Amino acid sequence: MSERRNVDSEPAFILHARNYRETSQLLEAFTHNHGRIGLVAKGARRSKSPFRGALRLFQPLSISWSGRGDLATLRIAECSTSANNLVGTALMAGFYVNELILTLLHRSDPHRDLFAHYTALLAGLADAADNVEVVLRRFEMALLSEIGYGLCLDRDSVHHAELSPSQRYEYRVERGPVPVDATSGSDMVFTGVELLAIGRGDFAEQETLSSAKRLLRNVLEHHLGGRPLKTRKVFASMKRRI
Amino acid sequence: MAFHLLDRDRRGGETLVTALENALKAIGHCERCRMLAESALCQICDTAGRDHALMCVVESPADVVAVEDSGSYRGRYFVLMGRLSPLDGIGPDELGLDLFEEQIAGAEIREIILATSATVEGEATAGYLAALAKNHEVAVTRIAHGVPLGGELEYVDSNTLSRAISTRRALDAD
Ligand SMILES: [Zn+2]
Repeated sequence: MSERRNVDSEPAFILHARNYRETSQLLEAFTHNHGRIGLVAKGARRSKSPFRGALRLFQPLSISWSGRGDLATLRIAECSTSANNLVGTALMAGFYVNELILTLLHRSDPHRDLFAHYTALLAGLADAADNVEVVLRRFEMALLSEIGYGLCLDRDSVHHAELSPSQRYEYRVERGPVPVDATSGSDMVFTGVELLAIGRGDFAEQETLSSAKRLLRNVLEHHLGGRPLKTRKVFASMKRRI
Repeated sequence: MAFHLLDRDRRGGETLVTALENALKAIGHCERCRMLAESALCQICDTAGRDHALMCVVESPADVVAVEDSGSYRGRYFVLMGRLSPLDGIGPDELGLDLFEEQIAGAEIREIILATSATVEGEATAGYLAALAKNHEVAVTRIAHGVPLGGELEYVDSNTLSRAISTRRALDAD
């Protein structure tokens, strides 16, 4: 990956941008074939910059760059379809997912399936008819599978027997569901029926959805290895005032 | 510039260093609008001739200068010194929103003009400030974003153009 090269017309999204020197920006982009890459957009903040107006978060882009994935130079950025217009909770969800990707994916590892999931996530978040929580849970599960930590939601991890709907299980990260008796009070105890529904991606029941949130939050926290998410802290502080 | 000063103009360099030191010591933030100021209140907050019922919310001191240069505004400001940027950990506390809420809860402010940037974070900031203002009796407006004066449509980027179309306004026929 260390040779200089040109990549042309690559589907991409900007995950994060920050100002760099007088007129430029440093970008973290998520691309279809090259995964996460770092880019410098020279002169992007000048009023006549050809990038101006295009380098928006959540905007489907087609980009071309030169150089390596640590810090390549953006040459062209064009909007490929119209922007995903995220507002309110959906917008906050978008920021949260961007931080998850930045924290859990290494640079220059291709994740083509996840790119498709991200594209679908943004369309779901932009569609007011979709439930933000459902869209988020689906993406979190796809992200975990993609980085090799997919949830185990069909068999218990002791007897490898199919989950029984009426049995209670404690979900152990990196192991899976372990049958427990009804008195166990762990935060990670779920009924078989809940785990099976989560595994099917069936979130019609509110119960399933809140269980999925609790399960995924714990599993993600484990894989984040104690790194706190900045977006979560900011949202908590925003909610306190509304 | 640093090389020039070291090489050719050490006296000039020393003068510049003293000036910067004095500026760093003397300049703080206006206790009313957070603009850079040499005393407790900035010059704008301290001017009686301005409309103090009208508050324009901007991201930076440079934005204040830009609006002032336009010569079209006679109200006061609130300077966030940034914008909501959740991935950088910048939220309400970092933007001085305690002070903002305190001020819109008072009787003086009649209208807030949200002049944050047309970036996704700038829009998020404007949306959040509008939600905060809902609890109070103030009118909230957002500055328009669109086609630059003298700009031909074919040279305007598609995002700007679609924004200009979605925020179009009625045109009086007479
Ligand atoms: Zn002031």
